Amino acid sequence: MRQQKITSLSAFLLAAVMLIASAGQAVAAKPTVGGTCKQCHQPQANVVRGTLVGISNQFKTIQVAVGSLVWVVKFGDDLAVTGAERLEAIPKDKEIGVSFKGDEKNPYAVSVSVKPPAKIPPEKLARVEDVRKLVAMGPEKGNFVLVDSRPRPRYLEGHIPFAVSLPNDKFDRMKDAVLPKDKGKPVIFYCAGVT
Amino acid sequence: MLSPDSARRAEAAGYTNVKVFHEGIPAWKKAGGLVVSEPESLKELIEKDISHVLVDLRPAKEASEGHIQGAFSTPADSLAAAKERFPADKSAPIILYEEGVNDEAFRTVRGWGYKDTTALNGGVASWKKIGGTLIKGELPSTIVYVWKPRPGEVLIEDFKNYVEKKDPGVLILDVRDKDEAMNGMLPGAVNIPTSEIQDRAKELPKDKLIITHCVTGVRAESAYEDLKELGFTNIKFLNAVIQIDKDGKYEITKK
Repeated sequence: MRQQKITSLSAFLLAAVMLIASAGQAVAAKPTVGGTCKQCHQPQANVVRGTLVGISNQFKTIQVAVGSLVWVVKFGDDLAVTGAERLEAIPKDKEIGVSFKGDEKNPYAVSVSVKPPAKIPPEKLARVEDVRKLVAMGPEKGNFVLVDSRPRPRYLEGHIPFAVSLPNDKFDRMKDAVLPKDKGKPVIFYCAGVT
Repeated sequence: MLSPDSARRAEAAGYTNVKVFHEGIPAWKKAGGLVVSEPESLKELIEKDISHVLVDLRPAKEASEGHIQGAFSTPADSLAAAKERFPADKSAPIILYEEGVNDEAFRTVRGWGYKDTTALNGGVASWKKIGGTLIKGELPSTIVYVWKPRPGEVLIEDFKNYVEKKDPGVLILDVRDKDEAMNGMLPGAVNIPTSEIQDRAKELPKDKLIITHCVTGVRAESAYEDLKELGFTNIKFLNAVIQIDKDGKYEITKK
């Protein structure tokens, strides 16, 4: 009886492993960065970025949705988690990055990082063209305040016309002096993108 | 990323119409957008003898009556013909000035591929406003530009040597954020993100040469400046683009 149970369990595990392998195979040539992660991340070898579908503690797998595909990555007790207290604490559909070793057909998770809360929803993003139009009009006609969040020496070295300097690390101290009194006025922040 | 964090704080402070130009200054430069520099920065370049090319766009006679130290004379009306006199090194920082900001001259020079071109914001008047002096006399018209490392900048070859030899007298300080460092660090490097340097400086040895690096050199230089203020004297930074994979293999490219 016991013997049989073990056999069926291993058959089940084998099926699970095959499932993982085929899932890996399906995405082998597919993007590793999905959805909103694309706003900030370039594809990177051995890193999958997408939203958390689920975690199976039984099979020790993390499922990450990248676009319409799902990556299944195995993990063990050596998994490092940053941005959350533990793996189970990450809510479903949360943007995560999983760096793995092994090939894409059989990925093994090295670490999981949770997207920090600082990123921006698409409706709050300004594009080069948007900024160009505003700068061409000037801050009065265009009705905007453009804020450079980089350290002050970088601002002095070269900035977008009409921008004012408000380094991120001095935000609280300087905000009243730099930001407009009218809190409804459009304010656009920029920095150096990836540094 | 600094701007999303600032935007979040602005919203927390009650601002209701906040946006983020997320691609920031690199995308702006790439699109050929006008970039203006402030006289304080020019003053620093001159005082610290940091390599740059300063171009006086005014008519030669006017320039000779009072110009900024180290400027070359290239009147705006003959700028197009002066292309050959500009440096071969397209990464040379070029600062153009006249009475105000000359958009067209900026576009011309930027169009030649000098990606670090800026126009002096406010022109000669803003220079005078910060106490800058003007010099009388003839200006050279032949541009001379010799690249020199910025103060504190480590030579790429030296940096590679320190990493390869695992020199015990050198500490490589990775100032990227944790989630970036997580995906691969240089062998033996220590990770302290730029934002934590002030609080965690006591973790750093005073008897070693500390070299900071990030991805492009921007945060590395800012960490270098922070450490200098905190009393560290034996520090340098990597002013180049570095990519590191999870095995610690790396590739460095000059900016």
